[in-house]
Amino acid sequence: MKENGLNQNKLGLDALILPVSFLSFLVLAIGSWGFIILIDGADLFELFSGDSFREAFGFLQQLLGVGAKQPPAFFQAAKWSHALILARDTLVMSILAIGLASIIASLTIMPSARNIAFGELTPAPKYWRIIFILFRAMYLLTRSIPELIWAMMIIFLLNPGIVTGSLALAAHNIGILGKLGSEVIEDMDPAPARSLRGNGANNGQLFLYGVLPMDLPQLLTYLFYRWEVIIRATIVVGFVAAGGLGYEFRLNMSFFRYTDITLLLTVYLLLVWMVDIISVALRKLAR
Amino acid sequence: MNKFRIGPQTISLLNGKSLLTILLLTSFLWSLIQISWGNIIHPGGGDALKEMLSGFFNPDLSLPILRRGITAAWRTTAYATAGMTLALLIGFTLGVIASGSLPIGGRYKVLIAVIARGIAGFLRGIHELVWAWLFVVAFGLSPLPAVFALALHYGGLLARNFSEQFVDVPTSPLNSLTTAGATAWQTLVYGRLPMALPNLISYSLYRWECAVRSAAIMSFVGLGGLGFEIRIALDDLYYRQVWTFLFILMILVLVIDTWSSLIRKRMAQ
Repeated sequence: MKENGLNQNKLGLDALILPVSFLSFLVLAIGSWGFIILIDGADLFELFSGDSFREAFGFLQQLLGVGAKQPPAFFQAAKWSHALILARDTLVMSILAIGLASIIASLTIMPSARNIAFGELTPAPKYWRIIFILFRAMYLLTRSIPELIWAMMIIFLLNPGIVTGSLALAAHNIGILGKLGSEVIEDMDPAPARSLRGNGANNGQLFLYGVLPMDLPQLLTYLFYRWEVIIRATIVVGFVAAGGLGYEFRLNMSFFRYTDITLLLTVYLLLVWMVDIISVALRKLAR
Repeated sequence: MNKFRIGPQTISLLNGKSLLTILLLTSFLWSLIQISWGNIIHPGGGDALKEMLSGFFNPDLSLPILRRGITAAWRTTAYATAGMTLALLIGFTLGVIASGSLPIGGRYKVLIAVIARGIAGFLRGIHELVWAWLFVVAFGLSPLPAVFALALHYGGLLARNFSEQFVDVPTSPLNSLTTAGATAWQTLVYGRLPMALPNLISYSLYRWECAVRSAAIMSFVGLGGLGFEIRIALDDLYYRQVWTFLFILMILVLVIDTWSSLIRKRMAQ
C-alpha cells in the first residue's frame, strides 16, 4: 500500500487496525472453543455419539407425535383456533412494541445526531451537547440489554401480560432505532437544510422540510426491519411476560406436550413469514 | 407569503406515503384497543421500581461481584464467538449457493438456490433461544446446544445477507474477467468474493455484537454467562448486583461496537 509522506505516522497506525483485528479474532475464536471444550467441559464426542443422536431422534418423534396415544395437537381444530388467538395476541404485542419504540426514538433522534448537537447544521447552544450525551447513553443502555432481560425486570413492576411483553420489546428497540435513526440524520446531505436555514426557517420548519423528506424512507425501512425482528422475539419475551405464543410454548415444554410445541412453532413461523411479507410490501410503499 | 408551500412533488408523495401513515397509525391504535388496560400495574411495583432505580445509581462494585461479572462476560463472549465461527461457515456456504453465483448444478441451479434460500429462511425464522431450548431437550445441558443454536439462527441471517451482497456486486469487473478468459470459478473467487468482502465483514461484525446479547440470554435454558448472573441476582432481589452485571454487558457491547466501527472506517478508506 502506498503511503503518503505527509501523514505517514497516522496512516501507519491506521494500517495496523485490520491485521491486528484479524489476528485478535483468530485468537478469540480459538480461545472461545478452547474455553468451551476444556474449561466448560463440553464434550463434542459425547454429542456426536450414537446415544445422544438416539435421544434426539426420540425427541423428534415426540414432536411429530409418533406412537402417541392421543391424536397430535396439530390435527385438532380446537388447538389450532386457540393457537391462532395467541398468534393475534402476539401480533398485538409486536405492533404495540414497535409503535412505542418508534414514537420514543423519533422524538429523540434529532438531538442525538452529532451534526445537530454540535452545530454543523444550525448554531447549537452548549446545553445541546449534554442532551446529546444523555440520549446517546440511554440508547446504549437500552440496546445493550436484551428483550428477555428487560422482561425479567419489568415483570417486577407490572402484572404479566401483553403490555409487559411489549414494553420489554420496546425498551430494547428504542436503543436500536435511536442509534440507527440518529446515524441516518448524521449521514444526510446538509445542503438543503443549510439553505432553508439561510432563508430563515425555524427549527420546526427545518425538521419538516429539510430533514424529514430526505430521511423518512430510510427511517421507515429501519422501522419495518425492526418489526420483523420484534415478531421473532415476541415468543422469547412471552416465556417471561406471560403473553401470546411464548408463554404457551413454555407451559407445553414443562408438561412435555411436544405435539403442541410443533403446532405452536408452525403458527409462529407462519406469523413470522406473514410479517416478513407485509413488511416487504410496506417498504415498497415507503419508497 | 409562505415560502414552504407544498409543491407538486409533495402531492405525488401524498399517495403512497399518506396511505402508509394511515395504515401505521390505525394498526397502532388497533393494538391499543385490543389490550385490557385494567390491572396492569403490579401491587408491589412502586417499591420494586424505587429499589431498581437506586440500584442503577449505586451498583455493587465490590471486588467479588466484579470478578464474577467479568468471568461471566468472558463466558458470554466465548459462546457468542464460537457460535459465530460456525455461523460464518453455514452463512457463507448457504449464501454462495443461494446467490446462484456458484457454477454448479446446471439447469437445476435456480432450484438449488431456492432450496438454499428456504433453508436459510427456516434457520433464521426460529429464534435462537427456541433452538437452544429444543437442543437442550434433545441433547442435554451443555454449552454446545447454545453454540449450535446461535450458529443456526445467525447462519440463516448471514446467509441471507451474504447472498444479497454476492448478487449486488458491480457486474462490469466480472464481465471483464470473463472476457479475459476467466472460468466461472475464477470469476467467483477473484471477482465476486473480494468485491463483496468488506460488506460481508461489516455485516458479520454487526451480527457478532448481536450474538453477544443472544448468548447472554442463553441462561434461560440453564447456561452460564452474564444472563445467568443477572437472573440469579433478580431472583434474590439484589438490584445493585443486577445493575453491575447490566453495566458490564453494556461495556462489552460498547467495546465491540467501537472496535467494529474502527474496522469499518479503515475498510472504507
